[in-house]
Amino acid sequence: MTDFDADKVADIHRELHSHLPSEPALRVKALETLLVDKGLVNSQTIDAWVETYSEEIGPKRGARVVAKAWCDPEYHKRLLADAPAAIDELGYLGKATAHLNVVENTEQVHNLVVCTLCSCYPFSILGIAPAWYKAAAYRARAVRDPRGVLAEFGVDLDDEVEVRIWDSTAELRYLVLPQRPAGTDGLSEEQLAALVTRNSMIGTDRDLAPR
Amino acid sequence: MDGIHDLGGKQGYGPIDVDDDGEAFHHDWEGREWGIAQCARTPGITIDWWRHCRELIMPEDYLGRPYFDSWAQTDFATYIEAGWMTLDEIDAGKSLSDDSAAKPPPALSVEQVLDEDRAHAFRFDAEIEAMPFYSVGQQIRAARNGHAGHTRLPQYVRGRLGVIHAYHGAHVFPDLSARGKEVHQPLYSVMFEAAELWPEAAGSKDKVYLDLWESYLLEPRE
Repeated sequence: MTDFDADKVADIHRELHSHLPSEPALRVKALETLLVDKGLVNSQTIDAWVETYSEEIGPKRGARVVAKAWCDPEYHKRLLADAPAAIDELGYLGKATAHLNVVENTEQVHNLVVCTLCSCYPFSILGIAPAWYKAAAYRARAVRDPRGVLAEFGVDLDDEVEVRIWDSTAELRYLVLPQRPAGTDGLSEEQLAALVTRNSMIGTDRDLAPR
Repeated sequence: MDGIHDLGGKQGYGPIDVDDDGEAFHHDWEGREWGIAQCARTPGITIDWWRHCRELIMPEDYLGRPYFDSWAQTDFATYIEAGWMTLDEIDAGKSLSDDSAAKPPPALSVEQVLDEDRAHAFRFDAEIEAMPFYSVGQQIRAARNGHAGHTRLPQYVRGRLGVIHAYHGAHVFPDLSARGKEVHQPLYSVMFEAAELWPEAAGSKDKVYLDLWESYLLEPRE
């Protein structure tokens, strides 16, 4: 049981600095070994979490939500009004999405999502965050130099477009609804979903192209 | 705390490594750590206490180690603090207690983990009697100071003027949740003009939105 003792934890971190093995792989191995020895975890359950987030849960879920919103005006309305309920219709409600909020791009507005304080991310709809999202450079710069950040991702915004940056400081999580690309009228929902990139749902991609 | 984790607006971190192959994990250990963090939680832990324990990592370790490695470091710290393991055991690389009676929890399948993930759709809001003090469209000033404990008011908005964009209801207040106390407090989406936050954004119409609890906010003239 935790005592919520921050001074003690700060001391533990300093001790761990010299006690932990030198490589991340060895550190995590040591952690799992101790937990298994003590009967606190089952390695097969860890296997299942890895497989679930490698194969089952990932940005394909978000892409399907986006494509459905493009095709179905009623779903689009429900998604903007109550995103957790709308993703639950597809069975995608889960880790870190009970307070999901969808922000929509338009000709005049571009949305960009960040977590400057840690790396909060809507896991059950987008899976594991890409490395850049968790890196100090993105967390530091997205709120201050969004257009510079976007340019590095190959997104050049017209000065007329307003950038809205969403810093995930509470338990709300944000999903960007990108614009449907032109010339896709004849495509099925499934074909449309294949056009939706992970970055476009975070906001570091904007103009999706028919492939 | 005004720690190394509070990165918003800090300069000098250079360009972003935008390349990504779309894989969830790039090393086996990253996946193992992800799995450990999902299924080995000390009793009574809160997400805010876990976040605070991550913020308390030494600055050079916080910035210098890979992301999931900092999760492993945080887990080690919470497990040691809660009495699950000791530094001596980490040095020994094995348990030094009598674990002969220890039985592993049952193995979960992928199907069961998918159910578990659905069960992790935790809500943090609740009905409270108090009415929200601020209303949508009202101007506010973010509090000028933080404190030594866990808080979700980033330094870059402190003392700055913003506008209430939306009311989210009452959510668990992280500053107390990180100390094991569950108290709900009005939570707002607050919009700050980029020009209010950054000298180089003068004339910009870009906007930064943060979700901030009522006690992080002041009247504009305060």
